[in-house]
Amino acid sequence: MNRSALLLRSTALGAATLVLAGCATFSPDGGFDSVQTLTKERIGKNTRWVKSDADKAGVVAAIAPLLAKPLSVEDAVTVALMNNQGLQASYAELGISEANLVQAGRIRNPVFSFGRLTRGGEIELERSLMLPVMSLLTMPVATRIERRSFEQAQLRAAGEALRLADDTRRTYFSAVAAQEHAVYMEQVKLAAEAAAELARRMAVAGNFSKLDHAREQAFYADVLVQLARARQTSTEQRERLTRLMGLSAAALVQLPNRLPDLPTAPREVQALEAGAMQNRLDVIMARRELSGLASSLGLTKATRFVNLLDISYLRNSFNESPNRESGYEIELQIPLFDWGGARVARAEAMYMQAVQRASETAVNARSEVREAYSAYRTTYDIARHYRDEIVPLKKRISDEQLLRYNGMLISVFELLADSRSQVLSVNASIEAQRDFWMAESALQMAQTGRAAAPAAASKAPSAVAEPAGH
Amino acid sequence: MVSRRDFFGGAGAVALSAGLVSRVGAASLPEAPQMDKAATRPPLSPPNGRPYNPVVTLNGWTLPWRMNNGVKEFHLVAEPVVRELAPGMKAHLWGYNGQSPGPTIEVVEGDRVRLFVTNKLPEHTSVHWHGQRLPAGMDGVTGLTQPGIKPGKTFVYEFIAKRPGTFMYHPHADEMTQMAMGMMGFWVTHPKDVNAHRVDRDFCFLLNAYDIEPGSATPKTATMTDFNLWTFNSRVFPGIDSMVCGLNDRVRIRVGNLTMTNHPIHLHGHEFVVAGTDGGWTNPASRWPEVTTDIAVGQMRAIEFDATEPGDWAFHCHKSHHTMNAMGHDVPTLIGVDHRGIAEKINKLVPDYMVMGDKGGSMGDMEMPLPENTLPMMTGTGPFGGMEMGGMFTTVKVRKGQARGDYKDPGWYKHPAGTVAYEWQGGQADLPAAQQSPGTAAAAPKPGEKVLKVRKGSGHGSH
Ligand SMILES: [Cu+2]
Repeated sequence: MNRSALLLRSTALGAATLVLAGCATFSPDGGFDSVQTLTKERIGKNTRWVKSDADKAGVVAAIAPLLAKPLSVEDAVTVALMNNQGLQASYAELGISEANLVQAGRIRNPVFSFGRLTRGGEIELERSLMLPVMSLLTMPVATRIERRSFEQAQLRAAGEALRLADDTRRTYFSAVAAQEHAVYMEQVKLAAEAAAELARRMAVAGNFSKLDHAREQAFYADVLVQLARARQTSTEQRERLTRLMGLSAAALVQLPNRLPDLPTAPREVQALEAGAMQNRLDVIMARRELSGLASSLGLTKATRFVNLLDISYLRNSFNESPNRESGYEIELQIPLFDWGGARVARAEAMYMQAVQRASETAVNARSEVREAYSAYRTTYDIARHYRDEIVPLKKRISDEQLLRYNGMLISVFELLADSRSQVLSVNASIEAQRDFWMAESALQMAQTGRAAAPAAASKAPSAVAEPAGH
Repeated sequence: MVSRRDFFGGAGAVALSAGLVSRVGAASLPEAPQMDKAATRPPLSPPNGRPYNPVVTLNGWTLPWRMNNGVKEFHLVAEPVVRELAPGMKAHLWGYNGQSPGPTIEVVEGDRVRLFVTNKLPEHTSVHWHGQRLPAGMDGVTGLTQPGIKPGKTFVYEFIAKRPGTFMYHPHADEMTQMAMGMMGFWVTHPKDVNAHRVDRDFCFLLNAYDIEPGSATPKTATMTDFNLWTFNSRVFPGIDSMVCGLNDRVRIRVGNLTMTNHPIHLHGHEFVVAGTDGGWTNPASRWPEVTTDIAVGQMRAIEFDATEPGDWAFHCHKSHHTMNAMGHDVPTLIGVDHRGIAEKINKLVPDYMVMGDKGGSMGDMEMPLPENTLPMMTGTGPFGGMEMGGMFTTVKVRKGQARGDYKDPGWYKHPAGTVAYEWQGGQADLPAAQQSPGTAAAAPKPGEKVLKVRKGSGHGSH
């Protein structure tokens, strides 16, 4: 009650106390069970709320064996859900929210204040006794609002967990692919190095012009830059993963050498959109918000004097600005001049606005899940095409080139250029595989939480300029 | 052997041919014998008509004919063929009667010749009788002297073989494509007098060149000069038969050049004379001895010699790249380049990579897999090892006691003792007493005396 509140003579105190009895207690789990359930239903993983040193020790013990071996994507997510400090901070919001809920259900203590002011010889004494009559009147409404807010906090916390899981999965695939890429770039470097060195020796022997020698050297020089970039990207992705998993050092993470294989067939998803309507947390939040507003509207219409719509509208999302404002404000007005017509109209407009927003959420959710599925199928097809067509074809080309080298039909430089191009196509294949797994995660996210950033459409493999054949 | 396959019964590559030739016309056509092998066929002694001494077509055959009221009738079918260039490689060519080049046509001076030409190619063609004196309208130049022979059509050429000598036939329609695809054949007009210019062995073949991408089978018909397969009668060494002669045989070799460059043809161990040119027989008094004669584009030459030296004698084009098969022309020279450490690095990427060319171009005894339908660059194995030859190379095998008319390969020459070059073993072996001018005996090395040894580079594969 931070604005002008009128003191009303309390008559309904007894009745109100009766109504509110039992609302003012803390739950044993602090609301976390619900978060746990929401998360587990969607990604099949447990999360933990670390509140004590014992909890922390439990987490350390639980993640140690997972870090002792090459990390799987599932283990990466498990560690992140237990160990990411940002997620723990969002769980802490639960406590704050629940405290508010409990607070709303309690009658405020009577306040007695005594003031003494002196101005020259004058002394002014001020005494007041404020009795929490207002609390009694607004308690049912406030509790209802706080309960809704608490529920939203739970949904938000579950959403944070889902988002973290998605981030972790995607970063994991990125990191493994980046590491693989760097390894393959080493091979390209090796080929370029061999060619440059051979060119140097050919120039020394008098068999190569400065032009041909310089071309091979230039290519090698370019490859060194690309290798440095590939290594840097690998480090970046690894560090990102380390942060998401809440680890103190990147060295704690052991990445496997390769990405998981593509599934033998892409998933066929039935009732994709209906499932998303059931499971998506943003849709659930929008629905709850709407029903909350509906009851507020009803109350406004009934009382006309209780303004409940100044509660700040909770955007039905959990991953926007962290500085969300939440709270409410309740005013009781004496109907002397204004009989509340405008207030009702405003309430109706706000309700309608919420209806539009909720339906926008639903429309977006459906579209996002369709888009994510399309990306999933496309990336699968592309990755499989790389695996089954492009890479084997490049291999066949290399085999044929070797036969031509054997017959002295092409030079060793052409052979090396070809082996580089084969390596690069393997690289592009890895990127395609990574894109698939990221799209796979994005699809999961689109079905359960809110669509992550659209699956990054992988650009064409970076073509390395080839020196002219010899 | 000649497969006496009826032209209309045979499955032609161009299916429409049968329908387009009328039955009445068909009944009067001489048959068109087919050949399915690329081996040298024995000479075809004339069963009828004027007598003559037949030629032997190297890796080829002579087209049988029909006598029809005193006219020699031949039937050439222009058609797609598969020609074995050498064991291990088959080319998709265009030719005549199953082979490319087509069969040799042998007639006698004064013969009236009627040639039926059926076109089973997908485009029109014609036949130009290169070097013949004939009515202009029989010269076979599309547009100029006749319309093209459309696919499925049969044309008739008829003229008198006036001038004895060595000739060729080839299309004069879409010439560049059709000749690049192998459309050509040999023609010999024998003298009326069987004893004129008589020889014991009379070989003939055409020079031709193809550009067939390694791993493929069809020539690139747009190639103008950079051919990669240089052939005698569309065969490359070691797929070319030897020319087998008896000791002291008078031998004639007739060569026609239908490539786009000249070929200095070189014979080892004997001198020859150019006895015939495009214009006919040369005056014996004007012939001079040679061991190499250049055969320019579009020319024919007949060379003659007495095979007086027994042995296996190389016979080849002297342009060294014409005695090789397909090779890369943009391959840098690796001679003298130190490969230490580099091969290992490359092997990590290309496990089957081997260093080649750092000692020179010789492939030594390396046998490495090549693209399919591709012949090694330099090949052929003789009794002393790799011959490192390909393309326009063969041997003239002169043997005592080789029966007249026997063209069977007698195998490698057995050298009499002491007539083969050998490795110098320092002073350990007694040198045979050398014939020398008087007074030089004192200068010869004495047994046990140190002789300067020249060290040769190590062999291939020692790195
Ligand atoms: Cu030549």
